[in-house]
Amino acid sequence: MSGYLLRRLPSALLVLVLASFAIFAILRLIPGDPATTLAGSDPSPETVAAIRADLGLDRPFPAQYFSWIGDLLTGDPGRSYLIGGRITDLIGARFGNTLALALGALVLMLVLGPVLGVLGATARGRVPRALLSAVDSVSLTVPVFVTGVLLVLLFAVTWRLLPPGGHESIVADPVIGLQYLVLPALCLALPGSAVLARYLGDGVRQALSEDYVRTARSLGVSPRRILWRHALPNALPPVLTVLGMQVGALLGGAVVVEALFAWPGLGQLAEQGVARRDYPVVQTLLLLLVGVYVLVQLLTDIAYALLDPRVRLG
Amino acid sequence: MSAAVIVDETPAPIAPTKRARNPYIRGLRTPRGIAGLTVVALVVLLGLAAPLLTRYAPTFQTADALLGPSGEHPLGTDEIGRDLWSRVLFGIRTDLIVVVSAVPLGALTGCLLALVSVTSRWADVVVQRAFDLVLAFPGLILGLTVTAVLGAGKSTVIVVIAVVEAPAFGRMLRGAILSHREREYALAARVGGAGRVRLLVRHILPNAADPLVVQIAVSLSIAVIVEGAMSFIGIGVRPPEPSLGSIVSGSVMHLQDHPSYAIGPLVAISAFVLGLNLIAEALNKGVRR
Repeated sequence: MSGYLLRRLPSALLVLVLASFAIFAILRLIPGDPATTLAGSDPSPETVAAIRADLGLDRPFPAQYFSWIGDLLTGDPGRSYLIGGRITDLIGARFGNTLALALGALVLMLVLGPVLGVLGATARGRVPRALLSAVDSVSLTVPVFVTGVLLVLLFAVTWRLLPPGGHESIVADPVIGLQYLVLPALCLALPGSAVLARYLGDGVRQALSEDYVRTARSLGVSPRRILWRHALPNALPPVLTVLGMQVGALLGGAVVVEALFAWPGLGQLAEQGVARRDYPVVQTLLLLLVGVYVLVQLLTDIAYALLDPRVRLG
Repeated sequence: MSAAVIVDETPAPIAPTKRARNPYIRGLRTPRGIAGLTVVALVVLLGLAAPLLTRYAPTFQTADALLGPSGEHPLGTDEIGRDLWSRVLFGIRTDLIVVVSAVPLGALTGCLLALVSVTSRWADVVVQRAFDLVLAFPGLILGLTVTAVLGAGKSTVIVVIAVVEAPAFGRMLRGAILSHREREYALAARVGGAGRVRLLVRHILPNAADPLVVQIAVSLSIAVIVEGAMSFIGIGVRPPEPSLGSIVSGSVMHLQDHPSYAIGPLVAISAFVLGLNLIAEALNKGVRR
């Protein structure tokens, strides 16, 4: 196992280092000098130069890059130019909200995906099958901002069951907090659930046609036991990879969902940062998101290797 | 090796009536394919014929804001009195322009990089790491990054979509070339004196094209989603030019009092994306059979 980890870890780190460099370089291509923006209208050249020196913008490019990485490694990525405040505080204040949203979506995905998948694989009759397949196709393909608006129209406007947007802390008041969380999390979870359902359904269907299932059946094992003890475990490993990819989609989707539901998370911060060209905030945030994504992929690969010896020994 | 000399002696089955030989057409003739083609054709036609179907320019502000649907304004008007029917039609148009320019750009970039990639080991490493890098950014995060540099706008959306799509095409073609060039027909062609270019263009590419054609349909639907999402969060097509995503975004503020505002763009996007996906699925079925 550790051998597998040793092989897998360097490429994850390489991607991360390349990403940090790409993010840093790309953001330096932004036209316009933040120092001029910060100096206000009609600044004297001395003021601009002072601000440049203060921000370290007068130093050569590699020096700026390494001082950013150094700051990151010591846990203090510095201050925001325009939104104001320390970046750690800005991110810290929103990190929990995005985490709550993503975890909520993940839980829903892990419930909805398998339920839909197993139902799809075991459903009998044309109508239920067609219905499940339609639900699957629609949630898979229709973008989150469309399903989100539909969810709001149904649950908040027509039935008035849930708030249309906004945020309350789950920690402070779990009941109210959950009410605010349900719609955004559901909206974020739907596409991933459909993907999981599809892969799991295919896997289960495949497993159910294998010889060992026929043998189990002929030995008189109950269909339920065959499904849960034999077919499902064998259908799981490929689904895991898909799950890892879906977590990445979750991060991207969070930006849209947060905008739609006025959810004060990292996506909103990223959007604000881009809109105001506050690049210390943007570069740190982007690297954080990419880092989380790379980490999730790595964990997925490790879990896959644990489940399937062929991978770690191959 | 022995498989090569076994000649299939059974006569080709007499084709059942109307069974198309071309796998794409065969796939598209299924109910799924026909449904997808119909829906997409309808959406595209609405977009192309936009100026003929409405009396209002998409940016023309009438005196009446937030009207419900009526004979004069089939979908009502938005918060500054623009006709929503017209905005949706011209929004489809904007989407068509973006999607039709971005996907071929991405496909071409990906395929060219794949061709570079199979020429040498060194190039392969560079190109594959570049793809890894792009794939390390979840789609919309990449959108935010590129927008931070280029500024919001239609051309940025096109660049983002092309960058997002390129790795899929690149990986697919690279894999196909690597596997096909070891097959016996490729060896035979090489023995027959075909040069590298001829081998690639005349023999391998035609055989490797199927997954790419399916991927184009998939990419088109992803492109519609990316454009919509970027315009929705305000980093896409710039106002006052309409796009489907920005109309949905405008409707969000008014869902409580004017739910009908959202209906037009929602139906258009959903139909477009679902139709494209049906086509992709149908093509995939036709190719695999």
